Amino acid sequence: MTKPLSIILCSEEHEKIQMAAMTATIAAVSEREVSVFVSMGAIFSFCIESPNGHRFSGGTFSKLMLEKNAPDALDLLKQGREFGKLSLYVCSMALDITGIDEAALIPNLFDEVIGLTKFLADSEDSQLTVF
Amino acid sequence: MTKRTKIDARGAHCPGPLMELIAGLRLVEKGDEIEILSNDKGSLKDIPIWVQKAGHALGSIEELQEYYSIVVEKVKT
Repeated sequence: MTKPLSIILCSEEHEKIQMAAMTATIAAVSEREVSVFVSMGAIFSFCIESPNGHRFSGGTFSKLMLEKNAPDALDLLKQGREFGKLSLYVCSMALDITGIDEAALIPNLFDEVIGLTKFLADSEDSQLTVF
Repeated sequence: MTKRTKIDARGAHCPGPLMELIAGLRLVEKGDEIEILSNDKGSLKDIPIWVQKAGHALGSIEELQEYYSIVVEKVKT
């Protein structure tokens, strides 16, 4: 059996969020169990209304992806959940620090609010990647 | 009788064509085929490897003018 994949997503850069979403989704639809832990600045991209005023921060490649209608990172994660075994968790510390309410997050995307200790304990037998 | 559905994913960027194929396969019956059209060069390798991992069957791959046609048979429900 293929090793599960655990992803810690903490960057608010569009390029990293996109790559994390692509990696998570493709692995999930390829018969691999995937868990994503969203923390730090990445949380802003998962709010219904981003406190930054824009969903993604990014550089030249981000602009190109938006111009050329590359698949949206959050839509990809939704597809990964629908078509594969993809779980998303939001970091309790990130909610505390930012003051973001769980209800302000995009609905039906996250499975649970958890801490890093629980995520790491659940990921002991997984391949762990940080974006 | 085998039914074939065509999905035109030309213009979609990676992993768009693969995701459209996966969504399409959920809508057809076991034994039916999906023909996916893509101009993403990565689809040539990505789709066959996914088909193998997911337990479906690859029908054909054709390189046409500026795009590819890949036929996949739904084997698993």
